[in-house]
Amino acid sequence: MRAVGGAGTAVGSVARPLRMARGTRLSGWVALYTMSILAALVLSGILVEATGSDWRPVVSALLDGSVRRPGRWGETLATAAPLLVVALGTVISSKAGLVNIGQEGQLYVGAAIGAYFGFLIGGPGPVNVALILIVGAAGGGLWAGIAAGLRYWRGVPEVLSTLLLVTVGGQAVAYGLRWEWLLLAPEGRRGNRNQVSEQLATDNRLPRPDLFGNELPLTVFFSVVLTVIVAFALSRTVWGFRLRMLGRNPRAAQRSGVSETRYGATALMLSGAFAGLAGAAMLTGGGFAFGNYQFVPGFSANIGWTGLLVALVAYEKPLAAIPVAVVFAGLRTGSNFVGSTGVESRITDVISGLLVLALLVPAAVMFLRDRRRARAAATERV
Amino acid sequence: MADFLGAVDEIFSSEATYLNGALFAAFLAFAATGEWVAERSGTLNISVEGMLLGGAFTAVLGYHVSGSVALGLLAGMLGGMLIAGVQAEMSHRLAADQFVVGLTLNILVFGLTGFLENQIAPDSTLAGRWEIPVLSDIPLVGQALFGQRWPFYILYLLIPLSWWLVYRTRWGLELRSVGENPQSADVSGIDVNKRRRQSIYYAGLTCGLGGAFLIFGHIGRFEDTIVGGRGFIAIAAVIFGGWTLRGTLAGAMIFAGALSFRLSIQGLGYDVNNELLQALPFIVTIAGMAVFSHRVRAPAALARPFIRGLR
Amino acid sequence: MNNTELGDAGAHEADNPSVPAVQLTGISKRFGAVVACDSVDLALQRGRLHGLLGENGAGKSTLMKMLIGLVLPDSGTISIDGAAQTIHDPRTASALSIGMVHQHFSLVDALTVWENVALGDTGRLDPNATRGRIGEIAEQYGLAIEPDRRVGDLTAGLRQRVEIIKCLRRDPSIVIFDEPTSVLTPEESEQLFESLRHVVVAESRAVVLVSHKLDEVLHATDDITIMRQGRVVDQRRSVDAAAPSLARAMVGREVSLRSERAALGIHRLDDTDLDSDLTETDTGLDGNGLDGNGLDGNGLDGNGLDGNGLDGDGLDGDGLDGDGLDGDGLDGDGLDGNGLDGNGLDDTGLDGNGLDGNGLDGNDLREGSGATGDTSAPGDRDTSGTVPAVATTAPPVLRIEAAVAHGTDGLVALDEFSLEMHAGEIVGVAGVEGNGQRELSDVLSSLLVLSSGTVTVDGTPVPTGKAGAMARAGIGVIPEDRHDSGLVLDMTVAENLVLVDQSRAATRGLIDQKRLNAFAVEMIEQFNIACSGPNAPMWSVSGGNQQRVVLARELSQEPKILVAANPTRGLDIGAIEYTTRRLETAAASGVAVLLISSELEEILELSDRIIVMHTGRIAGTMARAEANFETLGLCMGGAAT
Repeated sequence: MRAVGGAGTAVGSVARPLRMARGTRLSGWVALYTMSILAALVLSGILVEATGSDWRPVVSALLDGSVRRPGRWGETLATAAPLLVVALGTVISSKAGLVNIGQEGQLYVGAAIGAYFGFLIGGPGPVNVALILIVGAAGGGLWAGIAAGLRYWRGVPEVLSTLLLVTVGGQAVAYGLRWEWLLLAPEGRRGNRNQVSEQLATDNRLPRPDLFGNELPLTVFFSVVLTVIVAFALSRTVWGFRLRMLGRNPRAAQRSGVSETRYGATALMLSGAFAGLAGAAMLTGGGFAFGNYQFVPGFSANIGWTGLLVALVAYEKPLAAIPVAVVFAGLRTGSNFVGSTGVESRITDVISGLLVLALLVPAAVMFLRDRRRARAAATERV
Repeated sequence: MADFLGAVDEIFSSEATYLNGALFAAFLAFAATGEWVAERSGTLNISVEGMLLGGAFTAVLGYHVSGSVALGLLAGMLGGMLIAGVQAEMSHRLAADQFVVGLTLNILVFGLTGFLENQIAPDSTLAGRWEIPVLSDIPLVGQALFGQRWPFYILYLLIPLSWWLVYRTRWGLELRSVGENPQSADVSGIDVNKRRRQSIYYAGLTCGLGGAFLIFGHIGRFEDTIVGGRGFIAIAAVIFGGWTLRGTLAGAMIFAGALSFRLSIQGLGYDVNNELLQALPFIVTIAGMAVFSHRVRAPAALARPFIRGLR
Repeated sequence: MNNTELGDAGAHEADNPSVPAVQLTGISKRFGAVVACDSVDLALQRGRLHGLLGENGAGKSTLMKMLIGLVLPDSGTISIDGAAQTIHDPRTASALSIGMVHQHFSLVDALTVWENVALGDTGRLDPNATRGRIGEIAEQYGLAIEPDRRVGDLTAGLRQRVEIIKCLRRDPSIVIFDEPTSVLTPEESEQLFESLRHVVVAESRAVVLVSHKLDEVLHATDDITIMRQGRVVDQRRSVDAAAPSLARAMVGREVSLRSERAALGIHRLDDTDLDSDLTETDTGLDGNGLDGNGLDGNGLDGNGLDGNGLDGDGLDGDGLDGDGLDGDGLDGDGLDGNGLDGNGLDDTGLDGNGLDGNGLDGNDLREGSGATGDTSAPGDRDTSGTVPAVATTAPPVLRIEAAVAHGTDGLVALDEFSLEMHAGEIVGVAGVEGNGQRELSDVLSSLLVLSSGTVTVDGTPVPTGKAGAMARAGIGVIPEDRHDSGLVLDMTVAENLVLVDQSRAATRGLIDQKRLNAFAVEMIEQFNIACSGPNAPMWSVSGGNQQRVVLARELSQEPKILVAANPTRGLDIGAIEYTTRRLETAAASGVAVLLISSELEEILELSDRIIVMHTGRIAGTMARAEANFETLGLCMGGAAT
């Protein structure tokens, strides 16, 4: 009779929307989400209006930038691809019960190491691209591996170490960008910037086939394939089974032969590897760093942070991460067009922030409801 | 090398180093003190960055509207608490993941302040300098500790107040119990999530003050980059300090010292490894955790959400 | 004919009570589809100790949680001293002068004693006043404690002391004790009840003793309320109550099987129930088809119960009654080794058993792993050494040598612990909770690394703390808390059934959904697991059925050794009986069963050999025949044997 029953004040506050959601299964979900999203959008609209602008052109610009204008939805999908890959990695580590919040750094480091080896080794195009991707993934994985090592050998919580390593990684890469023997491009090839790598040779880039007037880099297709693979691996393989076991009950896992150190470290490093892969894909797939196929300071451009959000908003479900990634990507690509309306383009940061918060509410409510149900069951016949 | 050592010596014997160091340290201390309180209750708020930035902006806004630094400080506090409120209510009432909320808030506040600053372009100012008689004449550190602009001195109240709150009041006892064993606290009649929300509000208050201090006590105007990741350094300071107030403040001072040293040494024309110095607080913190992780104990329920009926 | 002291206590009472201190009327509470309390009425009088009795899961805890504000009732009223009240949270309860001594959960390890005691109060924090108050209470009730010790450093008994002080410091007029004896030795329990009586009578408080142990309640209380499946089924004065009828009320049918008695903490029964019991027993045995085994067990039980009879009053010649039921001739058997002659039980289809049992007296059936090990007379199995002399030539299946392990608090939890087990024997590990039992079970679950010492299974050393090593070596575990390491609540029943070994549902690293389902369906049928299907989430399954899932999984692995740590805790009677029977079957089929339990009745009922743990060491080893409540109790308290 260990389980403590009963709804407390903390739970009580959401009791009402909760009951509504239970009464009407799917429509409840839809209503809840619609309401939250609407609230976020209205709030953003009010903000724009309050500062003396009109909200309509902003919406229009967002739509133009993300889908309507020629070539833009391709751009959006190209942005969604690395977000999705980062999110997939996050799903893997979350399933193992780990909180990796250092994707931004892992992505940055991975991309930098990928770039370094890409330039160092050269080689024919496709090989070189593959090399950059593989080395990038390895780099991200190793960066996350530091956190994994600290966690399993020294007991340092991965939440803290991954977070702190973001800055360390950023500075490490910045250091690399100061030296020609590392990442910095030779004197004559820096253009007007002083911290920039060389450009990837044209045949070292991933192709961007044209589809209905949109350039779709191969990363888009790769990321979808990867999603299916991850979804399958997590739900249908013994490895995924054991990983989930570890995440849900580490002690049961330990007794059953799932070594926390081995599986956990693997999951954390895989998570980092996905982030690194995303970074390498951004480099080889183009569309980032002003479309120049080169490595610059701030190359990661918040893709790591946003990818993390994608995973969490998608509730750790790989397939659900696809649409979420596209929405977040749309906000990014759309924001490029907002500036032309005379409204500061930073408003899109605000919109996406509010949207994430709005998307959290239904999930939180549903979570509480599930928990209540679980608790009722866990109290057995008390 | 001798040259370099000479420069180091020069830095350490220069009042400016200490003055700058104290400014950096104070800013970190405002944030870290509040975050320390919040972490003792078992919450981990990566939205400290956002609270600082939000506090700084609302402080400027408050001054812009009222023309008074004091009201600006008040506005800063309220701004910090507003952002803390979102974090607290979303994570410890609605049970949304505290990291998602924190991260989102950082992005949101960064966008919002940038946006509003651009739209409003508020006025700003520096507060007056108060020289504490006698004490400010102490060589080297006198100016740094007792010759600052007046918002600086709030810290001298805030630190003992925070210590007293956590260790000497019932509220603090309950806070600590909530951070250590929320189930027991709950059974003892303490509203766990309420205490956690309150502790985050407190962090919001101190971060808001920190942001306001940054404006009125140090920089004098708002830019969206003024915090520049130092919220994370503040979190690192709490961890570095092993969740004690003394350690947290020591962390803030060491990290601030590193920042100050970097500026000074560059000012003297030496090209030290800038990146290493910037990464230093984080590396030191990580190394500290790795070395002391078995001796220093985090609050047992740190970063674990509490929902009644779940263990 | 029960207890004289109860009669005395009853005499203190006025026959027409005034306004009750607490009046619960029509209290109902449901959790989802589960009705926890169904229009419960209950009145508590000042100056009387009220026993709230019921099986695990009968609703008594929920009821008490409503009284202290941890659970809100769906309907019904709570009146305190005649005034209707709504109790939202523990603070309201404490304002109404209601306090609870919790079984678990209410202390914070990282804080000191006085800080813990101050927790949950209101008003200014005053360390010195709190320390002073602790001193007063300590003196008043004989509960000495150092106020500045860290609670995490205290023993279980001392922690309970803190718990009681924490409750009494607010001088509550209504006090609830929730299963207070589980962490105490029998002697300590006695002391506790003495101070309880003091609290009740001398200070005129209303006290509730929540328990699932019938005997304990019958002994200590003035009034008894019995709950079953959320309802109050019986209310009476302790003086008017007799154990058998209470047991009947508690379970809802005749209580007969020994395991059931053990579960209820009964070791005294009335003659009147003998007959019906006897027949019940027979059928029970039949049903089990536990040749030899069941018989042995029974015969041996008889002994232990005899012992009980001695532990106190010897009033109605209990002990003998108690066992007489199943035992009769069988008792004689075990001891004389001369067959089932003239029992009358033969007729009921126990013939075969009788024959089995015949040549094998007592424990040897199990220990000798099927061999006719009559060589070991009870006297041989003496308590002198840490490793008992087991007279078999077969090598032990499990050997733990000089094991040293540290608990999570860094203190030594296992201290040069050594143990040998043979196939087919049931070794009971008795002891007050927190004396290393948990760590022992953790070591055998690969959850804890030994600082020194070895674990050997079938002659092969097994590395400790290596994920899954113990399970692979053939050690099955029914953990003390199945939610801790036994189950993954967020996975399905089917998935939980292959938690330890996925190979039976996987081909080349892929989970084969069909095979998984087929296996799960088979297990669900074989073990009678009530669930909506193989894909039901584990959390949706009731506690008893969760335990069946654990059992099904562990037994289907065909372990050489089965560790069962408090396997019946939190189960209802039916599930207890089922689990017990499964353990016996397992032992009969050659599995060495290590039964770790804080319920002496359970240990005495099932074990062939009993070891008592105290501060991580073996404080005593005894053959089943020598063990009784008294010897075990002394041993548990640390007395050398």
